[in-house]
Amino acid sequence: MIRRGLVLLLALALFLSALALVTAQHRSRSLFIDVERAHQQARQLDIDYDRLKIELARLSQPAYVEAEARRLGMKPVDGGRTVFLNLPAASAAAPLAPGATK
Amino acid sequence: MKQPSSSRAGPAGARRRNGRGESVGFNANPLLTVALPSWRSKLMLFLLFCAFVALAGRAFYLMGGVSTDFLQRQGEARYARTLEIPATRGRITDRNGVVLASSVPAKAIWAIPDDVEASNEQVAQLARLLGMNAGEVKRRLANDDRSFVYLRRQVDADVAARIADLKIPGVHSSREFKRHYPEGPTSAHIIGFTNVEDRGQEGVELAHEKQLAGRSGSRRVIKDRLGRIVEDDWLREPFDGRDLALSIDNRVQYIAHSALKAAIEKFRAKAGAAVVIDARSGELLALANLPTYDPNARGKLAGDAIRNRVLTDTFEPGSTMKPFSIVAALEAGKVRPDTKIQTAPGKLTIGDRTIGDAHPHGLLTVEEVVSKSSNVGTAKIALDLPAQTLWDTYTAAGFGQAPQLGFPGAVAGRLRPAKSWRPIEQATISYGHGVSVSLMQIARAYTAFARDGDMPPLTLLRQDAPPAGVRVMSHETAMAMRRMLEMAVGPEGTAPGARIPGYRVAGKTGTARKLRNGQYVREYVASFVGFAPVSDPRIVVAVMVDEPTGQYYGGLIAAPVFAQITAATLRTLQVAPDGPMEETKSPLLAMREAR
Repeated sequence: MIRRGLVLLLALALFLSALALVTAQHRSRSLFIDVERAHQQARQLDIDYDRLKIELARLSQPAYVEAEARRLGMKPVDGGRTVFLNLPAASAAAPLAPGATK
Repeated sequence: MKQPSSSRAGPAGARRRNGRGESVGFNANPLLTVALPSWRSKLMLFLLFCAFVALAGRAFYLMGGVSTDFLQRQGEARYARTLEIPATRGRITDRNGVVLASSVPAKAIWAIPDDVEASNEQVAQLARLLGMNAGEVKRRLANDDRSFVYLRRQVDADVAARIADLKIPGVHSSREFKRHYPEGPTSAHIIGFTNVEDRGQEGVELAHEKQLAGRSGSRRVIKDRLGRIVEDDWLREPFDGRDLALSIDNRVQYIAHSALKAAIEKFRAKAGAAVVIDARSGELLALANLPTYDPNARGKLAGDAIRNRVLTDTFEPGSTMKPFSIVAALEAGKVRPDTKIQTAPGKLTIGDRTIGDAHPHGLLTVEEVVSKSSNVGTAKIALDLPAQTLWDTYTAAGFGQAPQLGFPGAVAGRLRPAKSWRPIEQATISYGHGVSVSLMQIARAYTAFARDGDMPPLTLLRQDAPPAGVRVMSHETAMAMRRMLEMAVGPEGTAPGARIPGYRVAGKTGTARKLRNGQYVREYVASFVGFAPVSDPRIVVAVMVDEPTGQYYGGLIAAPVFAQITAATLRTLQVAPDGPMEETKSPLLAMREAR
């Protein structure tokens, strides 16, 4: 009698375990789908990032910036219109050349 | 199997009763009784048994471990796929991280002409999206001989999506990459370009192909009925190409490019090149070539425009070579900077040949020989030296050897062994004729003057630590030569046009006639090599203008280009000025001083 009960109990346990396996497999797959979707999204964002970087490089090209600046009536800097500031002698690591104060 | 029997008697009984003449039932008719041999049913049974054994055997064969892959393969083919995962090519950036070349996914649009069913309206839309002529698209789709035609490759992903929305049967797309070069023609010669398969063809793209390319991977996946990936297994992980940071500064590159371009247009020259080297680290900050091309529009590539003149073209350096002859003499102790050399009457006859100066100078010091660029003076100094000593100095400065840049196509130039020099050749080589160099070689050689007499290895890649240089001359010689080269751009020198406000510069002009089929022709290469600021040199700049028209002296053509590039570059690099400001002071500065 005890043996029959044990067999029944084990059969039930086996049955439950089989069901659990199916459920676990299903959950792992649906989670994997989510991961895959996130990966896909990450890839797409990477691509967008690359594209934007290219766009940024294109717009920050010196040639483009200069053309735009000229359109706005700006002029290139030259030495004559630059103010040079000297570091205090104590903190200046490199000796400054004569004429640098001008 | 049982015979149907009458209700009155069973079949066995019926048969026995037949003989007694009793009436028999229909079913018991003796005529119907066939005596079947018993082996027939046994044979049948045996055959059936054999058939089942064969089935069981086959089932065991397929499933029990003898040949299980076949069914498994067939099963897997219905849910598993192997995906090719392409590797993205690495980015090329400049030293500040500005993107110079980058790959983004694109689509190749292709068609199977037999399958295509499109109305005229659809073809017109397709052509518009592809940026092609409708007639051309139609002609390609009508091409019945081929089962596959590319309509256009490297179409941007969003355009490809709109083409897919047209839903034209027979028109398909596949994934590939498109390389973008935001700087376009400005830095085309350094970076080079890739082909449609995203493989490097020229420049850095070719030189560093291995690092940039990466390796594609493959991945085995299981898909569910909706096509979603539910399980995967990496057969081979993909490696994306590594990014590459060049030593180029895109601002300096633009400065060099635009200054050179202006000069070439002004003097209607055939070509030109300029190179800017960081004197402290040996890094290339800019390398400009003209004519150039747009690496984004590869349809119009021409061989002449692709050539990287800085590295692959050699020319006779002319006077830019003189300082190295003087260096050899200074190092050998034959002369000192203030030694007097008689250059009158501006002519010197060696054997049956006579060399001369553009203007006769008379008695000059060695310093003046350099600053006034006297051929006669240089030749006299050089003829006092053994040929081998000169050759050693030139070779140490990198002449006759290809610069180790890791760049395809760098040439060595020509410097013949000293043993084969005749005296006239020794004289002409000393002022830069009878040898040939590339602009890169001459620029590199001048780094020795810009530094302490040593030369660092040149590099196109961003360096973190300054490399150790190789000493080619003593500190004193380098300083003496720096002074002489500064005099050369002074009011008495050959290139006052190289001066810039705010900085002390030094440099040497070069003007050389071109050789064609062994004869000198009336076509010139004007060059200038120099460095600034003299008190603590930061950059070495070399400029070469090929076949200018009208003028041809290096001091008139190449020196102003040098001045423009140097002034703008030093400002961009925020180098403190070490010279007098010759231009008008800014209102702001005047205000500050008034206080």
